Amino acid sequence: MQTPLTIPVPVLRLPRGPDGLSRGFAPDGRRAPRMPEGPETPGSAGVQESRESQEQQARAALRERYLRSLLAMVGHQVSFTLHEGVHVTAHFGATDLDVANFYVSQLQTPIGVQAEALLRCSDIIAYTFKP
Amino acid sequence: CGGGKKRQDDPRLRSGIARFAAAMAMRQTPLTCSGHTRPVVDLAFSGITPYGYFLISACKDGKPMLRQGDTGDWIGTFLGHKGAVWGATLNKDATKAATAAADFTAKVWDAVSGDELMTLAHKHIVKTVDFTQDSNYLLTGGQDKLLRIYDLNKPEAEPKEISGHTSGIKKALWCSEDKQILSADDKTVRLWDHATMTEVKSLNFNMSVSSMEYIPEGEILVITYGRSIAFHSAVSLDPIKSFEAPATINSASLHPEKEFLVAGGEDFKLYKYDYNSGEELESYKGHFGPIHCVRFSPDGELYASGSEDGTLRLWQTVVGKTYGLWKCVLPEEDSGELAKPKISFPETTEEEL
Repeated sequence: MQTPLTIPVPVLRLPRGPDGLSRGFAPDGRRAPRMPEGPETPGSAGVQESRESQEQQARAALRERYLRSLLAMVGHQVSFTLHEGVHVTAHFGATDLDVANFYVSQLQTPIGVQAEALLRCSDIIAYTFKP
Repeated sequence: CGGGKKRQDDPRLRSGIARFAAAMAMRQTPLTCSGHTRPVVDLAFSGITPYGYFLISACKDGKPMLRQGDTGDWIGTFLGHKGAVWGATLNKDATKAATAAADFTAKVWDAVSGDELMTLAHKHIVKTVDFTQDSNYLLTGGQDKLLRIYDLNKPEAEPKEISGHTSGIKKALWCSEDKQILSADDKTVRLWDHATMTEVKSLNFNMSVSSMEYIPEGEILVITYGRSIAFHSAVSLDPIKSFEAPATINSASLHPEKEFLVAGGEDFKLYKYDYNSGEELESYKGHFGPIHCVRFSPDGELYASGSEDGTLRLWQTVVGKTYGLWKCVLPEEDSGELAKPKISFPETTEEEL
């Protein structure tokens, strides 16, 4: 039983999780050897940065589109293609933080209808829905 | 329910911070590391390096992960195994990692780049891997009941094999400055001499041995079986002491300064005991499944637990201390506002349910 006045220890933030895009070990990580200090023209560093920031903007835009697509799916009937040619349909409910699991309801499977279920995203090959 | 149960009238709270935390009634805030999609079955810390210390986790999803040890921040995932990873370890300076998997291989990895360096083929599921202090040799053990010693400078050479176990090897560790080997199978723990490759001594148990940890300073061996947490000399295997927990324990770890031990198992809870007296000091709910592994960090400031629920959690040894991502709130700063966490955390909410 809790004593009524307990305060949880404050934290600065939560641990960062996988980025979902790569296997990590970022080249600019703390332990990587530094970039060779070659002759740098005044413009080259700027060009490098603007290409990186363009890429980052593109990544951010794509991610935002994907997240909006997930929002659009809520409450709709979605058809999932799983491994070994299995197809199921369900009403999409929600995804978790890492998009590792989809919460669905009325999952129609070859062996019956499941009122509520969690679909592991690693098992899903493709999915489609009509908004 | 959830969170911690702290004995506020415990006369043995030594540090000022612990006393403050008790006076302020601070509750442990575990840090949850997500990313794995299956049970976490093993974890290991590196030594303390100029870049801090690191943590590797073995998972049944086949994708062991490397994290910054004091924050839990994900650094990278070692990709390559084709089956559940049962064991994972880092060398002392966290430049190399080794993993043991159900795909009948052990792999050695560059822990800075994430690249696979070596695949060591075995004849059955590999369960355990351990580097020597100088990272020159790798010890492996698994379901084929053989201990293997690989010379990492000669990866093409056949490993040296030690036979004698009559059931699958669950854990194998170098000890006594790599001059001896400790190995555990289902019901025995055996001590081997490295040079002669022969058995020196063995211990028999009535119950399945669930875990083993070796503490070089003081040559202590921590063994868990059933509800027991037992401490033996790593040199003679003679028993030192043992404690009983309220539930079946899967893993235990002794604090580097040997003041505390932590243990976790089938009731999903983590227990912290005073090593000298055996008194239970704290216990925490939080995991949603049995705890498979628990280890103190090399500086003893935190301990990590891995669970069937697919998460790793980091716990403070001294609740309320500023360390890593945890931030202490001092009495002088406490205007009532600062004492409240500034951001609401899903973790706190779910544990309050």
